[in-house]
Amino acid sequence: MSSHDHEVEEVLPPTPGDRVITFLKRKDVVQSFVLGIFFTLVFVILGRDFYPKWMPTIMSTDMKANEALMVAFTYISAPVCGVVLGIATYTFLNRHTGDTPPEDGPAIRTNTPVVVVWGIVSSLMALLAIIWGLVELNVGSEAAASEARTAMVVEVTGSQWVWTFKYPAQGIETHELNLPIDQPVIFDVISSDVNHSFWPVQLGVKVDANRLQTTVVHTTPTKLGAIDVKCAELCGLYHAYMETTGQIMTAADFNNWVTAQGGHVA
Amino acid sequence: MTTLEHQVGSHPIPNPQKSLITKLHMGTGLVIGAIFAFGTYYWLRSGQDMTVARNVNKVLLISMFMWSFGFMLGIGAFIGPFRWLIGKDLTAEEQLFLAGEGQGVSRYFRYCTDHKVVGIQYLVGVMAMLGVGGTLAMMIRTNLISPGSKFVTPVIYNSLVGLHGITMIVAMIVVSTGPFGNFILPIMIGARDMAFPRLNALSWWVLFTAIPVLCSAWFLGGIPTGWTAYAPLSVQAGPGMNAFVATIIIFAISTAVAGANITATVVTMRAKGMKWNRVPIFVIGATMSVALAIPAFPTFMVSMIMTALDRTAGTTYFDANFGGSGWLYAHLFWIMGHPEVYVILLPGVAILMEVAPVFVRKPLFSYTAAILGFAGIAGLSVLVWAHHMYMSGWLPMLNGPFMVTTEMISVPTGLIFLVILGTLWRGKPWMKLPMLSVYAFLWNMLIGGVTGVYLSDVPADNYLHGSMYVTAHFHYTLMGAALTGAIAGLVYWFPKMTGRMLNERAGYISFWFTQIGFQILFLGMFIAGAEGQPRRVADYAAVYRNSDRISTMGAYLIGTGMITLLWAVVHSWRKGAIAPMNPWGAKTLEWTVPFPVPLENFDEAPIITSDPYGYGRSEK
Amino acid sequence: MTTTTSTRNNKSAIGGLIFVLLGVIVVSTVGVVLHTLSADPQKKLYATVSGTMSTPQGVLPHAFIEEGVYPDSVLSKSHGANGGSHPGWPSYGPATHLVLPAHSYVTMTLTVYDSGEKLNHAYFGKVVGTVDGTMTIDGTQVSALPADGVQHTFTLHGLPTSTQDPLFVNVPLPKMTDDQMKVYDDKGTLPVGHKVVFSFITGGKGEYVWNCEYPCGDGTYAKFGAVMGQLGYMSGKVSVA
Repeated sequence: MSSHDHEVEEVLPPTPGDRVITFLKRKDVVQSFVLGIFFTLVFVILGRDFYPKWMPTIMSTDMKANEALMVAFTYISAPVCGVVLGIATYTFLNRHTGDTPPEDGPAIRTNTPVVVVWGIVSSLMALLAIIWGLVELNVGSEAAASEARTAMVVEVTGSQWVWTFKYPAQGIETHELNLPIDQPVIFDVISSDVNHSFWPVQLGVKVDANRLQTTVVHTTPTKLGAIDVKCAELCGLYHAYMETTGQIMTAADFNNWVTAQGGHVA
Repeated sequence: MTTLEHQVGSHPIPNPQKSLITKLHMGTGLVIGAIFAFGTYYWLRSGQDMTVARNVNKVLLISMFMWSFGFMLGIGAFIGPFRWLIGKDLTAEEQLFLAGEGQGVSRYFRYCTDHKVVGIQYLVGVMAMLGVGGTLAMMIRTNLISPGSKFVTPVIYNSLVGLHGITMIVAMIVVSTGPFGNFILPIMIGARDMAFPRLNALSWWVLFTAIPVLCSAWFLGGIPTGWTAYAPLSVQAGPGMNAFVATIIIFAISTAVAGANITATVVTMRAKGMKWNRVPIFVIGATMSVALAIPAFPTFMVSMIMTALDRTAGTTYFDANFGGSGWLYAHLFWIMGHPEVYVILLPGVAILMEVAPVFVRKPLFSYTAAILGFAGIAGLSVLVWAHHMYMSGWLPMLNGPFMVTTEMISVPTGLIFLVILGTLWRGKPWMKLPMLSVYAFLWNMLIGGVTGVYLSDVPADNYLHGSMYVTAHFHYTLMGAALTGAIAGLVYWFPKMTGRMLNERAGYISFWFTQIGFQILFLGMFIAGAEGQPRRVADYAAVYRNSDRISTMGAYLIGTGMITLLWAVVHSWRKGAIAPMNPWGAKTLEWTVPFPVPLENFDEAPIITSDPYGYGRSEK
Repeated sequence: MTTTTSTRNNKSAIGGLIFVLLGVIVVSTVGVVLHTLSADPQKKLYATVSGTMSTPQGVLPHAFIEEGVYPDSVLSKSHGANGGSHPGWPSYGPATHLVLPAHSYVTMTLTVYDSGEKLNHAYFGKVVGTVDGTMTIDGTQVSALPADGVQHTFTLHGLPTSTQDPLFVNVPLPKMTDDQMKVYDDKGTLPVGHKVVFSFITGGKGEYVWNCEYPCGDGTYAKFGAVMGQLGYMSGKVSVA
């Protein structure tokens, strides 16, 4: 053994470049890499298609941002999934079966560069996600500030188990949420009893309704069509039936509707 | 530590016939508990106007606590403390009796201080709870099989959702640290028993008294609130809610006692030479989990006491009409709620980390990274609770900071992945059942983790919050990861706990049914969530029909898989192949003791010279 | 491997199958029990069709249905010993599951006997979704009641879904005066109630729910607990068939 050790010492140590090349040529590395690429692609395709396919029609600025963000996050996480599933699958393919344990593997207790790189890369990805989210948040609140003056106000009340909508400027109150297109809108949300959560699904915003505590959420509808309004907070017996509908209308249609309801055009 | 045998001297089987302790068991506990409960109920009821909700709540709550107290009295839990009050203690014979020496099966029905007995009690109790919770899940999915389903009424459906949730949460909190933390963990660290054997018995039997209380919710009209029990809905709710409140308060006592006990055991009773860097990783994970529970659960308990006061004494903690706030409840709940999911997750992950080196025959990759991962998760988990409240309208300006802390958790979670992947790397994993669970964990936790990143992001949460997507996400982490880990632990330690091998064929069938069913169920649920179906709805619009139907089919597959697992456990426990002392060739201490494990585990106190991961040929 | 082992394996496999089957039976039994408990405790109340009515939607069958709203479920006759009669809880009667014909002009008559205080949300004092947006109280046409003049409401709504037409009706019911209620409190006999009549037009087939939006769960938060959290008193189903 000791003489063998001597021989090794006498050979010149490989340069870092050589070591990288030897590493990359190893069968296990190639296998994992190919599998990793495969899984990354699977998740990229999934990211491209899953949310656009299943999420409802984008009908507001917020919904557009939400969906774009979910697709982007799937792209970012695709390589992570690739690494994890690539390595896992390669080891799974090299599995040992039978009733006796396999031979011992190499005694790798740790590999400091790998741990450090892993830590740094995952921190950077978390940082990317954080920054992205914060920027989106900021865009949202800036939009809110700039739209505040021109926005239409709708006072939303959640009652066990019906939503109602009051349009103070128009002087009407209804059980359907109709809104004019391209008009920024502010929802002042309140509950007459327990907690509810106001969720106009296609508009991609949501906020809880609390007793005596107005919560605010805003958006701008960008597409004509029907919307669903749901309650996203369990509120007792008929929580499931606490839903209603509405329409995003042209300004003219909206004004006609307001007049028909006995209100006045603001 | 002096051994019990030493104190008793030469009497191998004690005969403390005169002692009261020998006459008490589960039966006396049930009888005295029932007498206390019903006695209190009928006594308090007379002279109260029982048409007033507040009086009903008062009477029911007190009766439930009296049940728990009466049961503990009847099983003899207070004999020791009472002796201390009069300046004495149990005699050595009585202590040996409490440890279950020479009592056969009957010791499982007594206030037994042997940690191995407590472990088995937890195992059976947890499996019963999972069975009940799973049955409720089948009922939920059956009702959702098609829109407009008339399988159950909304009242019963809401109760199903809430009681499935809380039953599963309670079961999952103890699923690993209960059976394995009590049976295996002390042997793993070379201890003769837990630090506080009587508290150990106390923690189990207190938890046991919570189970009938929780079940009584069904007979009191159910609960409409889901397991989160949000106020003020919980204040408004009917008599069944008292069962929920009492369960949580009783359960919080049990976890506090168990947590303190396990932590103290690991800190003070490790074998000679077992430095902190030689402690098996399961012990680290389990300890961090219970230690995290110690600060977390009291806030849940407090929130329940406040709910109870609002419901009985007319306080207005959560009533905005009188200056209270529902947000106060939400905070207290989630300050418990988010650490709690990691209380569930950590021991499950730790079991898989314990299992992986054994079956890959390689050392655990980067023990330090594993500990950093656990510590990072445990540390950050107390700073993220308000991500459950992004959409509550409470101080939206704090959404940013909470988003930062939440997304930072992905870094220590990444280390967990690194440790397991590093352990697998270049190994030839021995594809026994526990090893399959490691792979199932990697996939499930990956999906659960990635979807968690979406949910942690405020703009995405605008859409996803409160939808089926959230339900699918946390089932991937809690069931797909934590329960998978616990089942791996069951298979892995089954030989040590029962002396027999778990039937492999049934195990494989169960594994594939459960895991495939799981993917089908929650893939369907992710789609339903993306489509916009809120969670906890008894009925839904026709557009979600296909996704919900897919989910229900998956649920039935899981059900079949779980029943198969139950059969494997029952059958193997009775008739399985006799297990050798160390069937997996593992190097942790529990495999050095024979079955049945002797009363005080080790004939000679072990001395530790290295960590238990010395596998592998050295690299050239 | 010997034959004994494989026989044992086969035997245990059969045992396993039987066990799984038993498990399925146990779970199914739980399901059957819950389903039985969920059975409608009420007899259904069917609307009777008599004649036709010409409406903007064309000539439609004219259906009639009558309900009472009682201060105590013992009086509503809808909650016999097995139906969950609960003293002190108000209730609709004689049934809470209403069956209406599709594409019809439905005239509903509610005879109401209870006292009232104040709505949690004033919106439910408006008449919504009826023909002309009005109802008649003892023959007088009314389109809204003040929030503190209401005893209960009949609020019909449902899940918006592509498979059924939307239907929303809200009718506030006028409260009895305190003097009128004194008769009931003292003697236990009902006063002469108000007669509320309103009509609405049903669409195609569908399943809807109705509930009362007046807070009548005394002693609970927002007075929406107790009776309000249970089916069959102040809430129920509407089937348009």
